Amino acid sequence: MTWWSVVRFLHVTSAALWVGGQLTVSLVVLPLARRLLDPRQRGRVLREVGRRFGAFTGLVFLPVQLSTGVAIAWHKGVTPSSLAQPGYGRILAAKLLLFCAVMAAAALHGRANGRGRPAFARAMAITSLVGSVGIVLLATALPPT
Amino acid sequence: MTTADLRPRPPVQRPPRPPRRPASWHLRANVVVLAWLALTVAAALARGALPAPRWLLIHLFLLGAVTNAVVTWSEHFANTLLRLPSPPRWWPPARLGALNAGAAAVLGGTVGGLPPLAVAGAAVVVLVVAWHCGRLTVGARRALGGRFSHVRDWYVCAGAALVVGGTLGGLMVSERAPQAWHPRLEAAHLHANLFGWVGLTVLGTLFTLWPTVLRTRIDEGTGPLARRSLRLAAPGLALAVGGLLGGARWIAAAGLLLYAAAALTALTPFLRTARRRRPHTAASWTLAAGTAWFVVALAAASVVVATRPVDEVAGALEPTVPLVAAGFAGHVLVGSLIFLLPVVLGGGPAALKRNAALLERGWALRLAGTTVAVPLTALPVPAWAVHAAWALVLAALGSFVAVAAFAVARSRGLRLSPPAAGALTGALLTALAVAVAVSGDPAPATRSVAGGGVQTVDVTLSGMRIRPSVIEAAPGTRLVLRVTNADAQRHDLRLATGERTPLLRAGQTATLRLPPLTGSIEGWCTVAGHRAAGMTMTIKVAGTDPATGRAVHSEAHSGAASPAPLDLAAPPLPGTGPADAALEPAPGGAEHRLQIRATEAELQVAPGVRQRMWTFGGTVPGPVLRGKVGDVFTITFVNDAAMGHGIDVHAGSLAPDRPMRTIQPGERLTYRFKAERAGAWLYHCSTAPMMQHIANGMYGAVIIDPPDLPRADREYLLVQGELYLGRPGEAGQVAKMREGRPDAWMFNGMAAGYDHAPLTARVGERVRIWVVAAGPSSGTSFHIVGAQFDTVYKEGAYLLRRGDPGGAQALDLAAAQGGFVETVFPEAGRYPFVDHDMRHGEAGAHGFFEVRR
Repeated sequence: MTWWSVVRFLHVTSAALWVGGQLTVSLVVLPLARRLLDPRQRGRVLREVGRRFGAFTGLVFLPVQLSTGVAIAWHKGVTPSSLAQPGYGRILAAKLLLFCAVMAAAALHGRANGRGRPAFARAMAITSLVGSVGIVLLATALPPT
Repeated sequence: MTTADLRPRPPVQRPPRPPRRPASWHLRANVVVLAWLALTVAAALARGALPAPRWLLIHLFLLGAVTNAVVTWSEHFANTLLRLPSPPRWWPPARLGALNAGAAAVLGGTVGGLPPLAVAGAAVVVLVVAWHCGRLTVGARRALGGRFSHVRDWYVCAGAALVVGGTLGGLMVSERAPQAWHPRLEAAHLHANLFGWVGLTVLGTLFTLWPTVLRTRIDEGTGPLARRSLRLAAPGLALAVGGLLGGARWIAAAGLLLYAAAALTALTPFLRTARRRRPHTAASWTLAAGTAWFVVALAAASVVVATRPVDEVAGALEPTVPLVAAGFAGHVLVGSLIFLLPVVLGGGPAALKRNAALLERGWALRLAGTTVAVPLTALPVPAWAVHAAWALVLAALGSFVAVAAFAVARSRGLRLSPPAAGALTGALLTALAVAVAVSGDPAPATRSVAGGGVQTVDVTLSGMRIRPSVIEAAPGTRLVLRVTNADAQRHDLRLATGERTPLLRAGQTATLRLPPLTGSIEGWCTVAGHRAAGMTMTIKVAGTDPATGRAVHSEAHSGAASPAPLDLAAPPLPGTGPADAALEPAPGGAEHRLQIRATEAELQVAPGVRQRMWTFGGTVPGPVLRGKVGDVFTITFVNDAAMGHGIDVHAGSLAPDRPMRTIQPGERLTYRFKAERAGAWLYHCSTAPMMQHIANGMYGAVIIDPPDLPRADREYLLVQGELYLGRPGEAGQVAKMREGRPDAWMFNGMAAGYDHAPLTARVGERVRIWVVAAGPSSGTSFHIVGAQFDTVYKEGAYLLRRGDPGGAQALDLAAAQGGFVETVFPEAGRYPFVDHDMRHGEAGAHGFFEVRR
């Protein structure tokens, strides 16, 4: 148990909250909202859910994830050239690329919602969710060191 | 529905009249082309995980996508331009199916190691194209000639080139052609297919397609010029291919030059048209880029063919193949599809415009990217630049495929619900990331070092792998390993023979100098867990063993973990097995004379496992000597082996200087001793390093009966020894001896031998078992499951005698000690006997007594 365990704990917990939050909203909140709430209420609730989740993403998830991720990479001695090496480096590089794609999808989701394009927003939300699960897959594929 | 509506509007005229309905099979043919392109992108991403990635990539693209496009479009253009009668309804789908089945068989057969399948596939592809050409020829003869009859001739010549090139390809994948022919076959195959099949088709099509794409009239005089240039191009190409096949460099060069001149002539209308009307659309610029790459590729091939011996042409052109495939074929294909796909998709003027706009989206960026990237793929630039260039090319191709697939799906009325579209996008992104993550290093896993002497090999530690993972070198080679840690974390390399690097930080390098190679050596990273994660390597001895004259391809057996654990339950081989354990009573007389010869023998040392052993008299253990106290033994020891040996008999007491000396092959000595004391004695080879000589089988037992030894109903002798797999004396085997890690323990020269050939006894019989521990390192704790010993004799003294109230359960012997135990089995059954040190007992020091009534 070192301070690095704490850093890893924060990284994993924050990721769990984000991926888990998306799954919960998609699999639990949305179906219930559709079934139980009238359209006006539903719109308001979902907007608020989206706003709150977006705030969590921007204020907690991203800062924690980026700072702890960079710290862990530094601790492991990751360098730009080692990112291209097959194995740990390349899996990490793929994970970062997918993370960027997911963030882009999430941003598009927010923007589309704001501009009243619900279909595209929904597609991007699902893209972000599936991609997030893919990031978890790649994270578990990182060889232990 | 025929394809007649898809006229590429050659003659003069006004803007195209949109087709009324898309030709459904025709659309299918183009979807097939798109599918092959998508497969090419996928294969490029998964390169590291695929066998023969380069070959596969090139053929997925050229044999899959390009060949499909050529057949489909050449048939279509010929049909419309020459107003051929429509093909029978069954022909297009049958042709499409057969061609793709053939292409798939070629790819699967070659990659999957099934040459007959690949050859059958090549034959199908050749037959389909031959049939296609035949149809064009026969049909066109019936049809009117006219302005565009030259198109048919170009297509027929292109098809003929594929028939030749495809046959050559089939010959190569059949693996029947002698290896020496391959360079020429490959060079001819490459020229026939690229400049013939693809090149002639493209040149023939550009006469009409280019003005159509530019929406302008066809140049006057194009027809005669096309006919004239083909009359040069076809014989030129035939000469080039024939010259390459026959090894006639100058004929090949002259042929290629003729072809180049003809091609440039054929491109003059292209230039004139372009001067008159500048390229201004995505399709026209992309086609222009492809045509420019064709000229570059042709120039490169001409230079190579003219300056290199024929056998080196294929090798020298190898780096330019991506340039030809991506630069020439890729641009032409994508340019044509940008123009033709909206026409095929149809759906009225509005839909045509919409699809065209979709396909053209981002075309300038795509084209700029490939224009920069394509030359980088063939130029000697740093690896990262090559990777980046390929990424650009793939991104351009992939984005086009995605856009085209979307256009096709939209025009077919396929709509995805937003969640499905989102899930598909997410899954594709994840698949892409996983492909990047698992893409391996194409560096060879096995590095063969030719020649002897001092050889330097670069070894890289990264990604939980050691590369190369196998080094093969001739015996006696002095290897110098330059070990670099290219990983983010620390690693080192330790060899089973003891050499090791310090712990290397990222980027650090260390050098290991090895002594002349005598046997296989294993190496691994000692950082905890890294060895288990796969950071291992093997240095193998390749070539011929001078001692035996046999080809050696030794297996590695060394280090902490034996590569394949022994299967002690395997069926034993017939013939040799454990030595007969039954011990004869001492022969009469007070003097014993015998000859013992040191020889090497191939023996079964574990069930189903034979190994070369060093022996006394061809068996492990050596012959048993038995007598009584006061007897004199005269041993004539002859060395019939290939190395020095000696003998040391513990049963006699004498100055070791002369009798225990090492004698060389062919020599002999006399070893004479008087057995002054009783006991179960060991004898063994006295030559250093004794550990190796004993561990490889040179030991035996001398039984000197104690005075008044009572008679027993049965007497057995078990000599226990360690088993080290591997070639005797090789570094890995010796390392295991040093570390005291035998692969198994043996009774009488075979691990678990008496599991398969049990010793026998009857109920109530007195059974005496003599045990000698030969080692070299470990002793024994001999025990019979279910039995108790009433007599124990160890190292010259009775620990327990018959009639004593106590009993014994095990006879403990250190290495080189001996004794006997006696027991009476109480009832019938199968009694296991073991070394009760369970590491030994469960690794071969095990057998059965079969006790009957």
